[in-house]
Amino acid sequence: MTNPSAPDNSAANNPAPTNWQSDAMQRRIAKRYSAEKRFKFMGYFAIGLSVLFLAFLLFTMVGKGFDGFRQTQIALNVDLPALSAGANADSLRGPNANATLQSMDLPGIVNMAAMRDYGNDAMSYLSANASVTLRNQLLDNPDMITQKSKIWLPAASPVDIAYKGKGSAEMEKAVARLAKDGNIKSSFNWNFLSASDATDPADVGIWGALKGSLLTLIVTLSMAFPVGVLAALYLEEYAPKNKFTDLIEVSINNLAAVPSIIFGLLGLVVFLTWFGMPRSSSLVGGLTLALMTMPVIVIAGRNAIKSVPPSIREAAMGIGASPVQVVFHHVLPLALPGILTGTIIGMARALGETAPLLMIGMVAFISSPPGGFTDAATALPVQIFLWSDEVNRGFVEKTSAAIIILLIFLLGMNALAIYLRNKFETRW
Amino acid sequence: MFKKLSLIAISTLALAACNDQASSGGAGGARQEIRIVGSSTVFPFSKAVAEAFQKADTSRKNPVVESTGTGGGIEAFCAGVGAQTPDIANASRRMKKSEFETCQKNGVTDIVEIQVGIDGIAIAESVKGPSMKLTVVDVYKAVAANPFGKPNTAKNWSDVNPSLPNLPIAVYGPPKTSGTRDAFAELILEAGCKTDAATKALKDSDKDKYEAVCYDVRTDGAYKEQGENDNMIVQKLAANPNMLGVFGYSYMEENAATVRGIAIDGVSPSYDAIASGSYPGARPLFIYVKKAHVDKIPGIKEFLAEFVSAGVKGSYLAKLGLIAAPDDVRKAASDAATNLTPIDGSQLK
Repeated sequence: MTNPSAPDNSAANNPAPTNWQSDAMQRRIAKRYSAEKRFKFMGYFAIGLSVLFLAFLLFTMVGKGFDGFRQTQIALNVDLPALSAGANADSLRGPNANATLQSMDLPGIVNMAAMRDYGNDAMSYLSANASVTLRNQLLDNPDMITQKSKIWLPAASPVDIAYKGKGSAEMEKAVARLAKDGNIKSSFNWNFLSASDATDPADVGIWGALKGSLLTLIVTLSMAFPVGVLAALYLEEYAPKNKFTDLIEVSINNLAAVPSIIFGLLGLVVFLTWFGMPRSSSLVGGLTLALMTMPVIVIAGRNAIKSVPPSIREAAMGIGASPVQVVFHHVLPLALPGILTGTIIGMARALGETAPLLMIGMVAFISSPPGGFTDAATALPVQIFLWSDEVNRGFVEKTSAAIIILLIFLLGMNALAIYLRNKFETRW
Repeated sequence: MFKKLSLIAISTLALAACNDQASSGGAGGARQEIRIVGSSTVFPFSKAVAEAFQKADTSRKNPVVESTGTGGGIEAFCAGVGAQTPDIANASRRMKKSEFETCQKNGVTDIVEIQVGIDGIAIAESVKGPSMKLTVVDVYKAVAANPFGKPNTAKNWSDVNPSLPNLPIAVYGPPKTSGTRDAFAELILEAGCKTDAATKALKDSDKDKYEAVCYDVRTDGAYKEQGENDNMIVQKLAANPNMLGVFGYSYMEENAATVRGIAIDGVSPSYDAIASGSYPGARPLFIYVKKAHVDKIPGIKEFLAEFVSAGVKGSYLAKLGLIAAPDDVRKAASDAATNLTPIDGSQLK
């Protein structure tokens, strides 16, 4: 019995069966295989090259930035009981601790101890913040004041670089002298994670910029996400297909490709000049970046909503759900993983922007972390840009260290995107 | 899941909103911290003064210093009076007459001008370089797009001046947007171009042509723009000993181990040469203060006093590369800072 639908392979159509062993055929097969191999090789090459670039970036950043996380400290023998000007441990515990410390003249104590221990040049060995460190140590442990003790205080930038092997010959000599007696050491630089911008690279920290970035991103997310998702829902589920919606679609796609500096100018005119919002604040920065992120969320959201199969909608309609119920109970939850991925990619782009922030005054020297959304703030990439332009060579390692922090932040955000996608994604 | 997410979204929104209200009540009425905008050249000095100002009395709020460039800074400064606008504008050149008029129109009537110091533009080479000695005319002929109105065909330094080495002309320098580039064009290129009487005569007859001839820099690769980052130029010079770089004097001083200043008209860029005015590439640095804000924002007078008193040789500003102005200029600055005498617009160009 023959199958009527089977293709007609009779000898009439194929005069002779293909001879797979013939030379011509073998050559053609070899050609096809080598084309395959070439393609595979190009693929390996492309991946290899991008991995190489990435490895190079990470290697140089970690290599240069590693030192930024280390702080050099110098030991001082401070005879606190003799210099305490009548202060005792109890007065440091009491409510007048600050006044007591003020009267003790800590900067003077530090300078005197440095000169006595290491000679007249030694005043410049210690960071301008050394007395602040001593002050905090005294507040944490008031009993320190009752005995003569060896105290570790942060070194100034020239000593810091010299101890890391990149300083001037003169400073390296001074460091060698200190190191011989074990009076210099380096430890993890907690100050870098808790302080803000400063003029001395030994005192700078990333916390102010990191907090500014966080506040800015909160504003961006709370503005761009709801508006972007609702716009995408309306355009996909409700909007009639006509010239007007086509125009909106083209505009949104265009908006996603507009250079970010334009959004900065827009933010300057709209938020600062018209609405009179506070300059340099993370509120204005966040709103400006929200304008930039919104089109990305709309486009990602529309694609995610489009990929929800129509059968889901029809089934929901079939059992009597209203259009709003269909959208909010079925379509949106199924589309959410895709929307979230798009959102986080848009947010990561917003995190890395400096150009629009320049126009609204966030490229600034701000030496205290922002207290709220309307306080003057700066952001991570801005801080990196500012430090990279610094004259003092101590900033080189701090710049790289700040880049490492930014990369860790980005990595965290992208990891979250992948986690959310894998957790909620449904395959059809 | 959606409910949870929307709850989070709404609560962050609410948090943001309530926080705004809480703090804008204070910030909207009067601002407590000093706001400074303007030149990226004055930025490091302002920063250091701001830090010293706050350390001297820790109850003071940290001033906020923005680096926007001179033009952008003065524009923001002249936008009006009130807590929304900055108190002080940094400038690496004098305020222009047109900017002063904009200020007047927007109600910023009393402006105090204080010269805080001098900055030098250095032309430098790697310490391994050929030790060139140049004149302003050599630099102008080598770098201008149309020296004395004719297209620039010079390929080697020896084409410009036979006594110079036979090396290709290659100069790294700042881009058009930079104040350093303006200063380079006005102090060095214009000085070279004015030596020709016919070109000098153009200044009165055809100002646009004169500016094009004197300020335009060649774009055929001999002058390589390097972005706003002067550190980049220093690094490139270290790698290419036969090239020259144009950047601020403080970068040269900080990187004395890798780069060396080139003598212009026989004067090497040094602290004393710039301070005395004998080095051609020196320019004054100014800050402009809005008099109307002095009583409203706490600490402006103290800030100005700190800035003026730190503008001397051996101070912490000198360590950052600021060059102290001559004594009579410093005296005038100190008077302006205490008496707050507004400038007269007719002196400006």
